[in-house]
Amino acid sequence: MKSYISLAVLGLVLIAAVMLYQLAPRRMRPVVLLAASYGYVWMLSGALLTFLLFSTASIWATGMVLDALRSRRAAELAEPGASRRAVKQRYQRLMRCMLATGAAANLGVLAALKYLPFFAGLAKPLLAAVGVAAPTAGLGIGVPIGISFYTLQAISYLADVYRGTISADRNPVRLALFLAFFPQIMEGPIARYGQTAARLWEGRPVTAEALFGGSARILWGLAKKLVVADRVNALVKAVFDDYGSYDGGVIALAAVLYTAQLYFDFSGAMDIAVGAGRIFGVSEPENFRQPFASRTASEFWQRWHVTLGSWFRDYVFYPVSLSAPVKRLSAAARRALGSRVGPVAASGVALACVWLGNGLWHGAGGQYLLFGAYYFVLIWTGGLVVPLAERLCLHMGIDRDGRAWHAWQHLRTLAVIVVGELIFRAASAEDALSMVWRLVTTFSFASFADGTVLTLGMDAADVAVVSVAVVVLLVVGHLRERGMHPLRRMWSCPWPARAALLLALAMVSVVFGAYGASYVPIDPMYAQF
Amino acid sequence: MDALLDILEDLRPGEDYRSRTDLVDARVLDSLTILALVSELEDTFDISIPAVEIVADNFNSLAGMWAMVSRLRDEDL
Repeated sequence: MKSYISLAVLGLVLIAAVMLYQLAPRRMRPVVLLAASYGYVWMLSGALLTFLLFSTASIWATGMVLDALRSRRAAELAEPGASRRAVKQRYQRLMRCMLATGAAANLGVLAALKYLPFFAGLAKPLLAAVGVAAPTAGLGIGVPIGISFYTLQAISYLADVYRGTISADRNPVRLALFLAFFPQIMEGPIARYGQTAARLWEGRPVTAEALFGGSARILWGLAKKLVVADRVNALVKAVFDDYGSYDGGVIALAAVLYTAQLYFDFSGAMDIAVGAGRIFGVSEPENFRQPFASRTASEFWQRWHVTLGSWFRDYVFYPVSLSAPVKRLSAAARRALGSRVGPVAASGVALACVWLGNGLWHGAGGQYLLFGAYYFVLIWTGGLVVPLAERLCLHMGIDRDGRAWHAWQHLRTLAVIVVGELIFRAASAEDALSMVWRLVTTFSFASFADGTVLTLGMDAADVAVVSVAVVVLLVVGHLRERGMHPLRRMWSCPWPARAALLLALAMVSVVFGAYGASYVPIDPMYAQF
Repeated sequence: MDALLDILEDLRPGEDYRSRTDLVDARVLDSLTILALVSELEDTFDISIPAVEIVADNFNSLAGMWAMVSRLRDEDL
């Protein structure tokens, strides 16, 4: 869908929801938010809303059973003469079974709607052997918006109830609102129940401060998308669609611009989601923390799409790493390789699960699996060679805390990020590898010297606008790294100054936004995942 | 607590573990280092650390780590 429909619908739903929310009595405000959320999903996905209702019902019921099992376990443990170990083991098995059932139900729906043709393709030889033709299309009913995001939220809720870090929510409406809250359902952030559910339910009145702060954040995000992300799309699309016609220099430029496009688009969408949440008094988790200031690939994933990275860390990486078989492997690796490298070597199993999951989560395509494999190799081998790199630096007299070394780390990581995004954007894994090969073997500045790059969809004015926007973002990012928050500082200004700021932010998008006859509207990019 | 300090110094030398309270937040301890640390803690103190204990509060400071180790030792008794 190449349009701004989802953004326009979000804006309309937000305005209507704010007015109805403020008019409604406090105890009805969460219901207004839930109705707005379901209305939003209905407008974009129609009857596929049913799958969101199924997900909500399944985690509510599973959570209740998990809580009941926990209570029964406590009661049996309190009985005199009870074998504590036997009771604990029995209930752990039961609760694990419930958790697996609830998670499988949600993942099953996701797999059926989003991955059926992909898995059928993988199973094609087996199906052919038994005389069954593999389906080439999905179920043909489409995919509801946000299913990849709300499914992860649903599983995190179940895992947290299983672990006992939260109690199961007896109120299905509150749980439904946690899962469906409209500003975040399309692209995240992937919130945990403990982060947003209680605040969503409070129904706090919309204050002038919240309205200003939230609106400013929304307009800031909108400007990121309209001014930069959509402006560079023409060049990015031209080169990625026909990379064989361009030399390595142009391919490198397209990869850099796509990295910028994805960042401005996705972080802009997060600004909109966080800003909308703020209006209703809800603090959504931040998804970006100056990712391009990273010095390693591992650090990049602690700063980029933070809530996805932390989801995989908490619900895949640590549980797999601390499972009995991997612990045994880790013990053997420590004996063979030492206490520093051994556990890292054994963590390869968990890292492989994380990056296979991360790649697949983005889509059922070879390029996404290659993207996951790329970061798996970089992060795992990066962890393995740390002791060797430290010794090498010591031997060569390199100061690992010095500016020169840090600058090298920044540059190296930027290159890693850009190549990663090139793989991510390519049409297939084969195209990704061909593009990287072409980038390396035909690299030249000829297209820059003769001005060809300015004929690919971005003229000098576009370059100037993007350059200024990047500089502004770099300055803001630098301030954020130093603990300052420029937008937040302006909240304490008198209201005329705040109104002027809102107007200025809106004018940035109106004047410099890449819309109209010369540009193609682009839906929020992460909505497709 | 000295044994815990020795483990940290061995895994990631040169940090002021006695006073820092942001070891995870400041990314001094990343997930791979925490995994190596968990293996050492389990062996040294004869405890089992489940995934639910791997949260920033338990690893941000020496005191937090020691409190977690002490609690898990008590639970295992």
